[in-house]
Amino acid sequence: MPPQVFRLILLTVAIVGSYVIARQLLTPPSFRQYGFYRGEALAEHASHTPVFAGRKACLECHEDIQKKLFKDAHKTIGCETCHGPSSAHCADPDSAAKKPDKKNTTACLRCHEANPSRPVTQKQINVKNHYSSQKCAECHMPHQPNEVP
Amino acid sequence: MKNTFSRRGLLTTLGAAAAGVLSFAAARKAKAAIKTVFVRTNAPKDYNPYDHKWLMCFDVDKCIGCGLCVDACKKENHVPEGPTYFRNWIERYIIKKPKPGSDAARGEVIVDSPNGGRDGFPPTTIPREEILKSFFVPKLCNLCEHSPCTQVCPVGATFDSPDGAVLVDPNYCIGCGFCIQACPYGCRFLNPETKTAEKCTLCYHRITRGLKPACVEICPTEARIFGDLKHPVENDPIQNFIQKNKVNSLKPHLGTDPRVLYANLDKEVR
Repeated sequence: MPPQVFRLILLTVAIVGSYVIARQLLTPPSFRQYGFYRGEALAEHASHTPVFAGRKACLECHEDIQKKLFKDAHKTIGCETCHGPSSAHCADPDSAAKKPDKKNTTACLRCHEANPSRPVTQKQINVKNHYSSQKCAECHMPHQPNEVP
Repeated sequence: MKNTFSRRGLLTTLGAAAAGVLSFAAARKAKAAIKTVFVRTNAPKDYNPYDHKWLMCFDVDKCIGCGLCVDACKKENHVPEGPTYFRNWIERYIIKKPKPGSDAARGEVIVDSPNGGRDGFPPTTIPREEILKSFFVPKLCNLCEHSPCTQVCPVGATFDSPDGAVLVDPNYCIGCGFCIQACPYGCRFLNPETKTAEKCTLCYHRITRGLKPACVEICPTEARIFGDLKHPVENDPIQNFIQKNKVNSLKPHLGTDPRVLYANLDKEVR
């Protein structure tokens, strides 16, 4: 073999070898675990802590309230829709859960204030001419909206 | 003076160095494998992304525009405050009556989304008699099967995970913003704190734990339906929804093949 060919082969091997070594060092170990990306990123996304605990978590302790709720018009509404995120309350049941203020009407009006963009099946009121001096909870029970307190 | 360097010596040294570096890489792999077994993370261990395929459906006729989903998303995912940072949002479409004497079927289309709809929608200033029809459209990442955002990423930081979520690897994102321009649905933004692109992750930390995404959990009218195509439950809400409704997707002409489906979608929605 002529010496220049031998040197050429040696050089090629050196370049390819250094590329392979650099690639080994620079690619994260979980690369190509699922595809052409860092597989650990999925676990990192999954490792965040949920803020909303979900309906099933509420059911563990408050089954009586949910049973009543499921019979009435508000059955599709999750607990945390009105009561707010409650994973802190689930982790430590002694910590106070948020109770919507019954004197405040904003929680009700968020869904029930008249708006021409809302579907006609949604029950809506015009605040100005629907017993404007009274609060919602005086006539409607939030968990059983078809019953009178 | 005799030359102390020999060809044999050089080759042996180079070979040893290469072997050392290669075994170092193997050691790194082994360390990562050990880490996944022994180091405790918050991530659920029994979740296999190949075992799921998530799908999100919307019933436009059921959305009442309360904005609780937007609020829940911000709280759940710690999305930065501010009127331009949203992982999901609600748009209000107001379609006016055609001008008298014109032969058009419908008039001007007005779309607004004050603060993403987070605080609800204030009454519109357009008089009621001028409105032909009006409705709300909830929007989020369309979970494209052929996502333009992953194709344009120059560093491969965004990817389609096997279970259907399109995610961003914040460690690799350089914040160039190409994906934000590429998304035809405007679903991405640049996080002002981390300076990386951010988007709806389908609440990846929730769906891996068997919970529903925060917006689905919170929706009071069941306008959002979420499910797993690979594990249909009895009386599956997703299958029922697709069977009972005429479903459509946003911008089908772009060929992105979204996995977010809408029922009762109006022609004007884009």
